[in-house]
Amino acid sequence: MENDYCEQKHDKTDSTVPLTKVVVRRLPPSLTEESFLEHIKPLPSTEHFYFVKAEKRLKQNAFSRAYIKFVKQDDIWQFKERFDNHPFIDNRGAEYRAVVEFAPFQGVPVNDWKQNNGCK
Amino acid sequence: PELAPYVKKERPPMHEFIRKILYQDLTKPNTDKVLRLMRKLEWDNEELSSYAVKCLTFAFNVKYYNIRCLANLVAGLVTYQECVGTQVVDGVMEDIRLGMEINQAKHNQRRVAMVKYLGELYNYRMVESGDVFKVLYSLITFGVSMSHDVPSDLDPPEHLFRIRLVCILLETCGQYFSTGISKKKLDYFLLFFQNYYWFKFSDPYWVTENTFPVGMTHMFRDTLLNLRPNLLLYANFEDAQKGIEDLKNEFAKTVLKQFQSVLNSPSEHEEPS
Repeated sequence: MENDYCEQKHDKTDSTVPLTKVVVRRLPPSLTEESFLEHIKPLPSTEHFYFVKAEKRLKQNAFSRAYIKFVKQDDIWQFKERFDNHPFIDNRGAEYRAVVEFAPFQGVPVNDWKQNNGCK
Repeated sequence: PELAPYVKKERPPMHEFIRKILYQDLTKPNTDKVLRLMRKLEWDNEELSSYAVKCLTFAFNVKYYNIRCLANLVAGLVTYQECVGTQVVDGVMEDIRLGMEINQAKHNQRRVAMVKYLGELYNYRMVESGDVFKVLYSLITFGVSMSHDVPSDLDPPEHLFRIRLVCILLETCGQYFSTGISKKKLDYFLLFFQNYYWFKFSDPYWVTENTFPVGMTHMFRDTLLNLRPNLLLYANFEDAQKGIEDLKNEFAKTVLKQFQSVLNSPSEHEEPS
């Protein structure tokens, strides 16, 4: 591992590859993956999905978020249309406006082994 | 004043174990040992694996010097648990962004650690130079007004923390932006960074009784000159702005040239309607 430390000729991906990985930010901290998925039905075909629970100790700045890698870029515009600034209500009735953005990091696991290994 | 008694957070034994090996035991010589232990975790257990990813993301719980070991560990772990890499990087990116949105001084140490961590993740090839530059540019643009008349909420005039974050990130991995396209990217970024620095420096907030902190100037100059010893530093905001202007013109010329060559070459390129 040690010799991995730089001297790198990486940058494998071409910068012209279209962006397809989206992050949905500022979701209610109490939201669960199941209810989120229920809420955004029907979800177009995706290559990768995972949900991150909020970090509770950030108090009023604690948000859940979800990462979705779409197969077709066209689906993204529709998804953004539907859910950018979309109100999500938490269990206490407070409203959270979701933010849909391209994920700053576009990488996903090459083998999406969520199916194979139950990894999320 | 009476202090509230310190209540130790009760955690399940496995959580305590992960925290112990990552936040106490992990040092350079035993990275391999910790890696072996991390591999043995029950990764199929959803609850546990997401806790492990969270711990691997929160580099601010590690000693600053050992942040590189955490990046090394993640890079090693990815061979066996691939999605850990993606999720850690996503988490770090989110934390850097959220830090800019919240912008509270109490998070400063955390933000420094996370930016450092991103740099180390680059050094261990978990992210590409493009990802690092995205963060670098966001640090000098997100919520920034670039006008002294319209002070920004997210980056008020007296707020110089973003300069520090950029310097830390550049110190961590900037040395590797030395060839090819990443070298070019850094050269361009340094123009914009200088422009941002001089924008902050020339803010009317800084008056003779309350001058721009000297330490900040030193850090800025040291970082740039360490990366590019022959770099001609701009001496004021006007020069820096002119530098940007020149660059834009240069780009405009190239684009125009390419556009003309497309126009002149018949067929092939059909204009999309």
